[in-house]
Amino acid sequence: MLDKRVVIRSQPNVTWIDTQDFFAIIEVMKSRSYLGEFELMLLLAVIHLGDEAYGVPISRELEANRGRDVSVGSVYAALERLEGKGLVASSLGDPTPERGGKAKRFFRITKEGLRQVHETRRVLTRLWQTIPDLKLEVQRERI
Amino acid sequence: MNHAEPPRFATWMLEHLTSGNRDEALAGDLLEEFLGGRSEGWYWRQAIGACVVSWLNSLQVRLPLLAFTLLWSLLAPAWNILCDKLESAPIFDKIWQMAGGVWIFPALAVWIVLHSTLLWAGILVYILSYWCLGKMFQREMLRRVFLLVPLIFSPIYGATFVLANLYWWDVFAGAKLAATPMGQIADLSMLADVMRIPYIIAMLCALWGAIPQSVRTLQNSSAEFSAIESSAQSDSLALISRMDPFTLRRFFGFMVGAGLMNAMIVGFLLCRLPESHAPTFASLLIRAILYVAAGALSGVGGAWLYWKSPASPFREHAPVPFPLFALACASGWVWVPSMVVFSEQISAATAFVAMVGAFVLASGLRSATYFVLVPAQQRLSTPDRGDAELFSESLYRSPFDAHGYVIAIGLYAAAAALLTRSNYTAAALLAFSAFLFSWKRTIPLTSSFESDHEYKQAALRLQRVVIPAVLVTIWALLDGVAHRNRDAETNAALAASNGTVASEHVHPNARSQSSAYGVGGYESLILWPLQKKQIIPPLPPEESFLAPGTTQPLTIPFDGAYWYFQPPDKFPGSTAHQAHGTPLGSDIESNNFIPLVMDAHQTLGETIPITRCREIQVDIENRDNTAGFIAMAVLLTDATSPQKPTLYLGQQPIVSTEPAHFSSKSVPVLETLRFSVAKDSRMRRFNEITVMLLPDIEHTLVGPKIAIRQFQLFPR
Repeated sequence: MLDKRVVIRSQPNVTWIDTQDFFAIIEVMKSRSYLGEFELMLLLAVIHLGDEAYGVPISRELEANRGRDVSVGSVYAALERLEGKGLVASSLGDPTPERGGKAKRFFRITKEGLRQVHETRRVLTRLWQTIPDLKLEVQRERI
Repeated sequence: MNHAEPPRFATWMLEHLTSGNRDEALAGDLLEEFLGGRSEGWYWRQAIGACVVSWLNSLQVRLPLLAFTLLWSLLAPAWNILCDKLESAPIFDKIWQMAGGVWIFPALAVWIVLHSTLLWAGILVYILSYWCLGKMFQREMLRRVFLLVPLIFSPIYGATFVLANLYWWDVFAGAKLAATPMGQIADLSMLADVMRIPYIIAMLCALWGAIPQSVRTLQNSSAEFSAIESSAQSDSLALISRMDPFTLRRFFGFMVGAGLMNAMIVGFLLCRLPESHAPTFASLLIRAILYVAAGALSGVGGAWLYWKSPASPFREHAPVPFPLFALACASGWVWVPSMVVFSEQISAATAFVAMVGAFVLASGLRSATYFVLVPAQQRLSTPDRGDAELFSESLYRSPFDAHGYVIAIGLYAAAAALLTRSNYTAAALLAFSAFLFSWKRTIPLTSSFESDHEYKQAALRLQRVVIPAVLVTIWALLDGVAHRNRDAETNAALAASNGTVASEHVHPNARSQSSAYGVGGYESLILWPLQKKQIIPPLPPEESFLAPGTTQPLTIPFDGAYWYFQPPDKFPGSTAHQAHGTPLGSDIESNNFIPLVMDAHQTLGETIPITRCREIQVDIENRDNTAGFIAMAVLLTDATSPQKPTLYLGQQPIVSTEPAHFSSKSVPVLETLRFSVAKDSRMRRFNEITVMLLPDIEHTLVGPKIAIRQFQLFPR
């Protein structure tokens, strides 16, 4: 939780952060590791896929939503990082012939992972709410 | 587009070039996607990306280790100097003397302990710093790290030393470290950096896998173990390992290497030719049997030591029983003694014996470990040789086998190495090719692991190869004895004709006998003139040369010796081979890649004052038909003075070797080179003239066919 309320004031062309509040954010960030963009996407994909969350569908899910190629190696590297943080857990499935006898590694989100996803969503939503409708601002300038 | 199989090399990269323990799942995912319609390009991109990402992650985790290792290795040059000083302490000399003929063992042990101490200290500091940060190493892992250090350091040090001397000897020849310890630590010259390499590699390798694992990794390991255990239950092989095939292969390779090294060490220490000049067949047979037994037992002993060491994962979870492994490998190690005896004679047979040994070793090892190393799925897909149709009309295209090309290249390279008399290189290449061929071709006859059958097969294989191995060892011994007898006869003839003169030129520690180094080469060579006359010292007649006002030159016909040796030596070694001949008719070349140095030495009967000599002319005969530029330098030495001072008269080009004047010569070309003697030299007199031939790159491995005819000393 943030110790102080972060106030981000917005003017027509300038978005700035109060210096005092900025350092408050830094202090809080030091004590808590927030999810990165890719990590958040991965966690959401794992939640969405449920029991079928292994390398292939996770990569497909990300590709479908991001609209660009995803390196499966990067997916695994990020999932390992998340597993190291205790946000996901993995287990090996049975080897199947169509995979050359290689087992699938299924991922599932942990309670901590779920909590962090909710926390990130809450913070992001609150931050977005403080920002005025940028699209409207741009349209107004054009007029 | 053929989607039956993904690119093999990309798959191999995934299996072998990625770090971490998700390779199987990742490889399976990529295969599934590929079979689902992805392109080969996509597969390649993913494989390369996975390798890069995994190594970046590994490096990222180990960045502090890398930084610490580099910093700690700065101490290495200073530590090396300290170790040298400690090793030359009188106490160690006494210990070596007490050890007698086996002094090499305590000396090696002391050397390893001294050098490993720096690494152990570094590891201790690293662990303590980790402990300060609240992270703990596993105790078992720590023990393994400390044991691994000397095991890794010694071979890496040896390899670095050999490579550095082979390729950069000229850089290191004149290089020196700073005088003070601080200067040595701060020294970033190439010499100091090369000294640091073994320390860096040994510390990194020892600590690489010992970085405290996170909860995630431990969880993964336990998950993998449980998965493997479940598959083991379904497999008929009860002795399945808890490790992945790659790790298993690595450790099997390590055990085989340890046994091989041990067998070779014992071979080089024990395998000697019989003392008798005409040994009986019975004595040779007994000796050969003992040597073969020693080779096999030492190999088994070496492998057992590593197998049972606390650092070995096989100690707790042996993938195959050690007796079976030992039986399988012994059929290869029995060839080591004959290989060693041949190698001491620098015989090409070394390579062929190594090839046979490697072939048999691979066959036995593959049979014994097939069901452990080859996954069940792959076993099912392997075509059974018995089921192959004789006249098959199927359109089956055989898969791409890279090992066939590797074997072919290995064979061609071995042939090239044999032609250039690089027997060790040829032996290594042929052994590698034979091992690979045998490994790929060997498929067990049974469809599942049957302990009794495997034991029986391994014992049968050993029985079959023991007799040929003993016979080959007898052949090697006979060949060695014959060569030694021939060499002894040559030496006796030389000694009879040389008289006492040779001893003046050879190094004081030189032995008069057994100078031959082998059938195909010598470590150094002294070439005396063909017709050895009684040495009459060319006394400078005082009335002609030393008398004031004389203008007639003093002519000294060359009757000294030509020295052929290799850096870093500065003169022929104690085992220098002595022969009669002239450089004009002798083909003398280096049989390794170390350059050959050629000097000519003329000793004068009495000393000549430098101030009396204005110029020295050297008359030479050149019959060298190798294109390339050669220069000549002359050194005067006062051997009567305790310091043996020398005066360098500079170097002159041999004009007949210059490209503009070069021609193919059937008869020697005469040429005279002039060297002026400085008047104000600090040296007062001289009684030795040394002529150094300074060749270009074309002549670095061959002795120039240039002979010295005479010297002419012109009075001042």
